[in-house]
Amino acid sequence: MSGVLVIAESRRGELREVSLELVTAAREVAEAAGGQLKVAIIGADAEQVGPQLGAEGVDEVLTVTAPQQHFEAHVWQKALEALIDSEQPSLILAGHTIDSLGFAPATAARRALGFATDVTAISWADGPRAVRGAYGDKLHSELEFPGKECTLLTVRPGLFSPATPGEGSVPVRAVEANLENVARTEHIEFVEATAGDVDITKAEFLLSIGRGVEDKDNIPRFEQLAERFGATLSVSRPLVDAGWMPSARQVGQSGKTVKPRVYLAFGISGAVQHLAGMRNADTIIAVNTDPEAPIFSVAHYGAVADLFEVADELEQALG
Amino acid sequence: MFLLAATKSRPVFWHFTTPLKVLWYVLAVLSVLVFLYGVARPIVKWRRGHGGPWPPYPWRELPRRLATGLRLLLSHATIARRDHLAGWAHRGIFYGFIVLFAGTVVLGFNTDFTDPVFGWNYFHGNFYLAYKETLNVLGTVLIAGVLAMMVRRALIRPRKLDYARPDRNSDDSQFDRRVYEVGDWAFVVILLVIALTGFVLEGVRIAMDAPGYAGTQFGGWVVAQIIGGLSHSTLAGLRHGLWWFHGLLAIAFVASIPYTKAAHMLTSYLSLSLRDRLAGKRLRAIPPERADLPAGYGALSDFSPLHLMNLDACTKCGKCHEACPANATGRPLSPRDVILELREQANHAFTAGGIGGVLGGLINEQANGDGFTAGVIGEDGVRTETVWSCMQCNACVEACPVGIEQAPIINQLRRRLVEEGELDANLQSVLQVIHKSGNSFGENRRKRGRWTQELEFQVKDARKEPVDVLWFVGDYASFDPRSQKVTRALARLFQEASVDFGILYDGERNSGNDVRRIGEEGLFESLAEQNIATIEKCEFNRIVTSDPHSLNTLRNEYPDLGASWTVAHHTTLLRELIESGRLDVKGRLSYRVTYHDPCHLGRFNGEYDHPRRILELLGCTLVEMPRNRDNSFCCGAGGGRIWIPDTPGQERPSENRIREAVSLPGVELFVVSCPKDVTMYEDAIKTSGNAERIQLRELTELIEEALVPATQLVPA
Amino acid sequence: MKIVVPVKQVAALDEEFELLDDGSGVDPDFLEWDLNEWDTFSMEAALQIRENADGDGHEVVVVTVGDEEAEEGLLSCLAKGADRALRIWDESLQGADVLAVAKVLAAAVERESPDLVLCGVQSSDAVYGATGVALAGYLDLPHVAVVKGLDYDAAQATATVERELEGGLVEVLRVEAPALLTIQTGINEPRYATLRAIKQAREKPLQVSDLADLGLEEDAVGQAAGSRAVALKPPEPGEGAEMLNGSPAAVAARIVEIVQERMSG
Ligand SMILES: Cc1cc2nc3c(=O)[nH]c(=O)nc-3n(C[C@H](O)[C@H](O)[C@H](O)COP(=O)(O)OP(=O)(O)OC[C@H]3O[C@@H](n4cnc5c(N)ncnc54)[C@H](O)[C@@H]3O)c2cc1C
Ligand code: SF4
Ligand code: SF4
Repeated sequence: MSGVLVIAESRRGELREVSLELVTAAREVAEAAGGQLKVAIIGADAEQVGPQLGAEGVDEVLTVTAPQQHFEAHVWQKALEALIDSEQPSLILAGHTIDSLGFAPATAARRALGFATDVTAISWADGPRAVRGAYGDKLHSELEFPGKECTLLTVRPGLFSPATPGEGSVPVRAVEANLENVARTEHIEFVEATAGDVDITKAEFLLSIGRGVEDKDNIPRFEQLAERFGATLSVSRPLVDAGWMPSARQVGQSGKTVKPRVYLAFGISGAVQHLAGMRNADTIIAVNTDPEAPIFSVAHYGAVADLFEVADELEQALG
Repeated sequence: MFLLAATKSRPVFWHFTTPLKVLWYVLAVLSVLVFLYGVARPIVKWRRGHGGPWPPYPWRELPRRLATGLRLLLSHATIARRDHLAGWAHRGIFYGFIVLFAGTVVLGFNTDFTDPVFGWNYFHGNFYLAYKETLNVLGTVLIAGVLAMMVRRALIRPRKLDYARPDRNSDDSQFDRRVYEVGDWAFVVILLVIALTGFVLEGVRIAMDAPGYAGTQFGGWVVAQIIGGLSHSTLAGLRHGLWWFHGLLAIAFVASIPYTKAAHMLTSYLSLSLRDRLAGKRLRAIPPERADLPAGYGALSDFSPLHLMNLDACTKCGKCHEACPANATGRPLSPRDVILELREQANHAFTAGGIGGVLGGLINEQANGDGFTAGVIGEDGVRTETVWSCMQCNACVEACPVGIEQAPIINQLRRRLVEEGELDANLQSVLQVIHKSGNSFGENRRKRGRWTQELEFQVKDARKEPVDVLWFVGDYASFDPRSQKVTRALARLFQEASVDFGILYDGERNSGNDVRRIGEEGLFESLAEQNIATIEKCEFNRIVTSDPHSLNTLRNEYPDLGASWTVAHHTTLLRELIESGRLDVKGRLSYRVTYHDPCHLGRFNGEYDHPRRILELLGCTLVEMPRNRDNSFCCGAGGGRIWIPDTPGQERPSENRIREAVSLPGVELFVVSCPKDVTMYEDAIKTSGNAERIQLRELTELIEEALVPATQLVPA
Repeated sequence: MKIVVPVKQVAALDEEFELLDDGSGVDPDFLEWDLNEWDTFSMEAALQIRENADGDGHEVVVVTVGDEEAEEGLLSCLAKGADRALRIWDESLQGADVLAVAKVLAAAVERESPDLVLCGVQSSDAVYGATGVALAGYLDLPHVAVVKGLDYDAAQATATVERELEGGLVEVLRVEAPALLTIQTGINEPRYATLRAIKQAREKPLQVSDLADLGLEEDAVGQAAGSRAVALKPPEPGEGAEMLNGSPAAVAARIVEIVQERMSG
């Protein structure tokens, strides 16, 4: 077995950005891994999307046409297995996305692959090596995959810069897979997120609060602080789960992706899904009592301090 | 006078035919039977509660308890407290009624027993005159009392007598309390009518018989002067009519006592007699025989007989309603209305099963009717938000003149709500955190002693070496950054005064006082057991804590779990140290201050004087807030409320309190002696916009300030 | 109807932890154990389905792979209303990776042949987000990952679920039981287990099995493992933020400065 296979991803006819990030990641190890770098796309729209995947360094684009219009975990799982059978890669890279989470682990289990998710760095030394977080990203864990002929890694989005899309010069090949009657779920509809009173993606300055504020009681206080500071208030997911704030204010993978000039985070640990929504802010300032909080690894400025004490002082300073 | 006395008397049955006499006796006996049935019925009802022992206390305690109850009743101490008008008026009615009633009994004893059986009629002469004199005086007193009460109800209309329910909207059908008002008025009016007809009857008699010694019967004499001109036959008719009217009204009244507001004459006395000295201060454990049943009160059958009896004892006096900080700050809770709501439910649910049922029920405990197993909490019952509004501050229990246990009953309702998961999400996570980490801050237990690191000396670990004073620091004092400053100040004072003290470091757990008041009984037990196991292994003479909440549970509740220690508040120890000169701070300060009694130190443990004495020794001038000592106003943190979000926009109890403090002229400092108060009031001073006008100090901080050599003192 | 809920007792790092001298892991003194947050939601979802189902004989079985430390989490599930608990442990499972754990769970779940298996989306310590779907792979069960809405029709044995996608987009889909779902936070409000209930839960059946009891070979489990950890390290120093030091007042002042500078620039 040899070569690197990237599993690209599209949703509703559009290529998702993580696909081209994966190409970059794959390029870094492709040479060491030996063999070819192939990018596969599964879906009803595989043939339309395919050509864009022929970025520099890609040897071949593979398409697997699915009978379903939308992602279906079992169909994707079967398609991936067909790809493994036909291409025999030694390393497969997929995005650490909701869709991948829905099928990649099943394939890994059934095919006894080497396997890790949410990988942040990949290298090659006599086989693939990967780095991922441990204990909620406070530590890094280095993994190897001994005895595995093929390893499947899902890679954290947003870490690798996306490759420039191809212009159709890379050969595209359709891979046959029998995907009829494989689906085991029935798509009913998509429901869009409800719009809120404010659009946090438009804000230039976000004051974002997380579980560190502890108490529903404390929220009005930060609303006021944000107002005085000229900021818009946003939150991490637990505050939405608890029903304290509307979901339109949530930053992160399942919330909004924001790119304000300043993102001031109070009491947010910086879980991967939260970072997914704000890591590209121009300036990130984090206040957290925990010096190991992973948010400090993406922040430009950090303060290990009690958020209430800092809020007190900010209130004073802003008069 | 004395000579004349021998002939002084009057016929009881004046010109009565025998059938009428018989009728009278039949009615009287009937009335007594109806009365007795009415007395027995609620007893059967109380026994339908299985949540506690029956009798509530061993029978042998009953005489002593009834005697204590009687003493309290005769003194009117609990009734007159905080309301002198009502106190005096009630005294008038009470003594008037008792004496008139006793008079009737004395008369009846003569007529029905000594005279017919032994031919001994003592109802004449001096005895009769004294009798008349007494009855006249007391009858007047009774009337005065009743009139005073009427004026109070009709004209003064104190807030506590407003029956508006804070837990219902005015358009709610259960909001209407007119039935109560009618009952109240009927009660006073009937008392008045009985008393007045007594006088009129006497007047008619005097007018007819002209006995010539009317001076002792001044009431009747006045009436006689008015009606003296009437013809003899009119008077005779009047006398007959009035006699029957007065008599029938009186026996009807007797018969009705257990069924109307008058029932409080019996139930309130009983409740007062069975009063638990530690009610609310020491909550009751779950009885072992109920260990497998859901905890607390979900249905009437879960109540203890004592608490069901409490429900019947409420006089609707509103003292608790007035004292309750939740009610005062617009929360949907009035302890009075919780009691009345439950009482209505109990009366509605109770079916005695007739005379047979009642007799059977007196002898044996009986199965419950459906009504007693139906839930008491709900939209149409006691609402959950009502139950959770309570701060378990015990102001209601303290205020209640008849010994009702409002706060413990609310606590029992909470136990059930906690078990059913009907609690605020915040509160729920705090309980989980306490369970996990042993403190409400969710901090690692190793950090409990970390506040000591900034001290210049080492604080002993009481688990490792013997100490004189074992300092139980408590969660807030250990972890809250603002309180830590006070905690360190206290440690420095102990060090300065060479107190031999130590702490438990990571061995200490949350004391469980508030956890128990939230209603998480299992967690309380587990915390208490852990603390007891740790403390038991230490060598010390007494425990000192700066946290009144911990003080309360260590002192009053841990003993039920086998602990027996001397537990003191830091203010007690500090006073000793100052008075003995070990802390040289006397007369060093000159602030004008006010002092807030923490519920758990004052009301719960009766300690009002040590902090005040310390302030005096320091040289401060204490200006009392109107609500002080046992009437102190809860800061709003109690009963777990510190962890339940307040509705935004509502005044918080702590803000209400600060308003009270700043209304005192010239007061610079708001002095507290509880770590939770530090947090609550420091915040309230800010949020109520009074930061310029008043500052907060923990007593310890004041002492430390005074310790600085006088030359270095910055002028205040 | 039977629902199996696999749960995990997770470890959180204390603020100032230390690594073991050989770098293989964290000094256990600095770990705080708790039931995985996601699993409190899957547990609640299972209990609600059971409570809403007609008739009796419905069962919620909670299962975990873990040492004795994990029993506390099981007890809290039993206290909340699970009927029975199963804990699987074997010394060889120390440090087992996500696929190995799923393999063990598969053997246990297979014996139960449940109508539904409800997992949490991920565990808060390892954050693989893969155990549930890997388990479905071993068992060849239909599966849906990241479910934030669930309506189970017991009569039809079908679940209508809301799958949460990026950006708050939701896909509604239908799946027939038996099936495996991974449950997302916020789908319900997990109930509270009182300490009394936890004590009483000790009376409920809690079975402890080892690999042999499940008919599993140590080797087979070892081979299933998808990876081997070779080192555990703190993040590289220097890649982090510029730290603002000093008192809260100083920090606040700096924040105001930075914000003003960035917002005007
Ligand atoms: C599929 C999926 C999608 C998700 N989508 C999102 C998403 O879109 N957005 C999102 O936010 N999460 C999302 N999550 C959840 C995410 O995994 C984390 O659980 C969440 O982000 C944690 O939020 P937090 O940082 O506020 O809370 P925590 O992780 O609990 O962190 C709280 C932090 O506050 C600090 N703190 C506590 N007290 C204080 C104090 N007094 N002063 C200063 N600091 C203090 C603590 O040290 C801690 O670091 C998703 C999860 C999954 C599985
Ligand atoms: S304990 Fe306090 S808050 Fe609760 S009902 Fe009584 S007076 Fe009101
Ligand atoms: S409970 Fe006590 S204080 Fe309250 S109204 Fe009734 S009698 Fe008065």
